[in-house]
Amino acid sequence: MTDEIITNPLEDSGLEMFQDTMEEFLATADVGVVYGEPIQHGDTIIIPTAEILCGMGFGIGSGGGSGVDQKADQPVGGSGGGGGGGGRILSRPVAVVVVSPEGVRIEPVVDITKVALAGLTALGFMVGMMFRMSSRRHALPSIEESI
Amino acid sequence: MSVIEREIRTGETTQVGDLEITAQTRVLKIQFPGHHAGLIWNRPKAVIVRTSDGQESTLPVRDVTRIAIWAMLAGGLLGAFVIGLMYRYK
Repeated sequence: MTDEIITNPLEDSGLEMFQDTMEEFLATADVGVVYGEPIQHGDTIIIPTAEILCGMGFGIGSGGGSGVDQKADQPVGGSGGGGGGGGRILSRPVAVVVVSPEGVRIEPVVDITKVALAGLTALGFMVGMMFRMSSRRHALPSIEESI
Repeated sequence: MSVIEREIRTGETTQVGDLEITAQTRVLKIQFPGHHAGLIWNRPKAVIVRTSDGQESTLPVRDVTRIAIWAMLAGGLLGAFVIGLMYRYK
């Protein structure tokens, strides 16, 4: 009986795939990802910029075992492997670099929806605090106080 | 390789007319132990402009949306705190 574990060719290809994915993931840290291709419009050149947030994770495992088939009185063995992963990339425009004959300027890109939502949240904090404080003020006096 | 890594990366210089433009980004890398998970936050930092006569200027890229969001949330929390104090000492 041998303790040799048979390697799965699928496992190797899986590892290669994970390695490729990891390389692609690390490529998001490159400068070229944040600054887009220049767009020519007459005398003006526009370079869009964006922020990139990329997260990923994966796991891989394998195992094997061996034993004796009592019916056939023969050694048996097997191995297996598996893996999984997930990730997400978020991208948001930040600003636009405008290169014109007058010079270079940076125009910000403002996401009004996000700003409005933050404003409503802030307003919610204040209104919530006002309600909380006024309800405390109008609360019924305790029994000890009324006597 | 450390778990949290911050760096400023400079891209290749692009010639636009008489101007040389170099892009800079700010990268935050978080790599979890075992190297099986990670997070990369890459955002623009500045644009370096070099004119033909050798003058160099750095134009920072400001994320106005983020500044506005944090200002609003900070204002909301501060406002709630002030309202709480006003009611307490009234």
